[in-house]
Amino acid sequence: MGAPSTSALDDRLYQRLADLVSADSPDRGPGHTDLRPAVEQALYHEARLLDDRRYRTWLERFTDDCVYWVPLDPVADPRTKVSYLLDDRRRMADRIGLLETGWAHAQEPPSRTSRTVSNVEAWPTGDGDTLARCSTVVWEHRKDRLTAFASRNDYVLASLGDGWAIRYKIVRLVDCAGDVRKFSFVL
Amino acid sequence: MDALDTLIQPHRVHRSLYTDADIFLSEMERIFGGAWVYLAHESQLPEPNDFITTRMGLRPLILTRDTEGGLHGLFNRCAHRASTVCQSECGSARRFQCSYHGWTYSNRGELVNVPFVEGYPPDFDKADHGLALLPRLGTYRGLIFGTLNLDAPSLAEWLGPAGPLVDEFVDRSPTGRIEVRNCQRMIYRGNWKLAWDNAGDGLHPTFAHRSFLVLNERQHGGARSLSQFKASPDDTGMYGLDLGNGHMFVDQRPGLRQSFWETQRPVPGREWYADRISERFGDDAAGMLEMAPGSMVNLSIFPNLLIKGNTLETVDPVSVGETRLHTWVVAAEGAPEEVNVLRMRIAEDFPSLGNPDDLEIFERCQEGLAVPEVEWVDMSKGLGHEAEDVTADGVRRGPVTHEGPMRGYLRAWLKLMTADVRLTAARSGEASFENAV
Repeated sequence: MGAPSTSALDDRLYQRLADLVSADSPDRGPGHTDLRPAVEQALYHEARLLDDRRYRTWLERFTDDCVYWVPLDPVADPRTKVSYLLDDRRRMADRIGLLETGWAHAQEPPSRTSRTVSNVEAWPTGDGDTLARCSTVVWEHRKDRLTAFASRNDYVLASLGDGWAIRYKIVRLVDCAGDVRKFSFVL
Repeated sequence: MDALDTLIQPHRVHRSLYTDADIFLSEMERIFGGAWVYLAHESQLPEPNDFITTRMGLRPLILTRDTEGGLHGLFNRCAHRASTVCQSECGSARRFQCSYHGWTYSNRGELVNVPFVEGYPPDFDKADHGLALLPRLGTYRGLIFGTLNLDAPSLAEWLGPAGPLVDEFVDRSPTGRIEVRNCQRMIYRGNWKLAWDNAGDGLHPTFAHRSFLVLNERQHGGARSLSQFKASPDDTGMYGLDLGNGHMFVDQRPGLRQSFWETQRPVPGREWYADRISERFGDDAAGMLEMAPGSMVNLSIFPNLLIKGNTLETVDPVSVGETRLHTWVVAAEGAPEEVNVLRMRIAEDFPSLGNPDDLEIFERCQEGLAVPEVEWVDMSKGLGHEAEDVTADGVRRGPVTHEGPMRGYLRAWLKLMTADVRLTAARSGEASFENAV
């Protein structure tokens, strides 16, 4: 079911994540407009898969060495700080598997979501990947409550076009330093 | 509000403890003022002049170190017109200046400057207008507590048999010290005592965490995290303790058939980090890895500290029907760096996969408690049961699914809510400090 038995997360991968969110890195300048349409196509498709709760299809769009990370401190090295979650492919599969058990009370009834992806910018990373940054708002309705999860997201895309694939997805919630309602759907 | 002692009976508790706003306000004064309340860990303010802000019930507080390193609990309330004087979560400061009219205080609470002082009455004395302080502060193994209750027992007496259990938690670190890292902050729509009930509740995992149990069985098989609650938990030897003064303990360790590390669900980086530890420590690697998973016990220090896994979780009431949970993750000082990296990932595992179901259920309880005509919450499991036991130091012990720990904390709750206590603030220089270890 797409879940590897071992983790690809090692010190080198951690360092790449730490570099990606570092507050010290210089401004990259404007995004490359020629990359943007293909990046938007991928991000919009991803948003639709998640809003439709097609989680297995969503997971297939990630590389084997992927990371899905929702930090609490948006510029900290994840080796030294706890996050909301920092998943490799195996724990992403667990997160989906939990919802599939039918006993995840926090998703009974399930959340309905609509996400808006905007301010999309993209740059080549130099090693064949594409770095994308965007602003996202996930509107969640569940029971009697409408909740907004606003974030600035970073993506490293391993490929674009019809076979688009995500290597890293980092969701930097604007209220990550505040009190957040537990979420058990995928942001 | 009915007389409080009619609301807690041996086998049940009245719904108004969870729904009555007047009881809530009284709790915020008497429980979160009259008990020794957990404030922070020393590693959060290690250096002279460091400070953090927190709350004690609804009271905003600045916990400071002065230039000599001494600890002070200052109310974050200007002595002039009540504005808070510190807006930062943490930092380093010798002075706190109120942004409203410029009154300035030292980090010991003394009023050191009043701008345009001419015009105040001739008997105006700055010494009378410092920030008010907690009259009593104390530490135990790095945990900092405070109380407004001059009649409270010493901190060591208050902790009682919970003290050695704190020792066990802290002594999992090679140096005997823990280091608090950062914090997961969650909020739920329910009374604070729903979290407290749950912390001493060994009956709920089988049902409330069914998704987690089924997932682990399907994806990973074997005796993984929480599998000791799959069926008949009381047959495993797991037990709960009512430690007195409201403190509770749930011990899952007798339910494990393998080591902590072997039963730990596979977290990100498990293989690479275990290999590094194995290379570096050879025969000692297994002992090092055993420090990475949580402690497999839940130790609850009344009224607001839940020690579980590798975390210090504070219960911070907002209103009668809303509560914040702040889960501070601790690293083991002196442990290999790899162990603490694994601790960070492990501290995301059950909290993000299992805790959402707890919070959902707290909210369902608060919804159900809205029925005025159905008045009682049952907590009778284990009452008078032959497997219940009282040890020489007054600790009540029972099988893990019994509800004795909850009945115990409610006895402490009632005592604090009805006792004739003096809650007072102190002036700078008048507060006392107890080092309980």
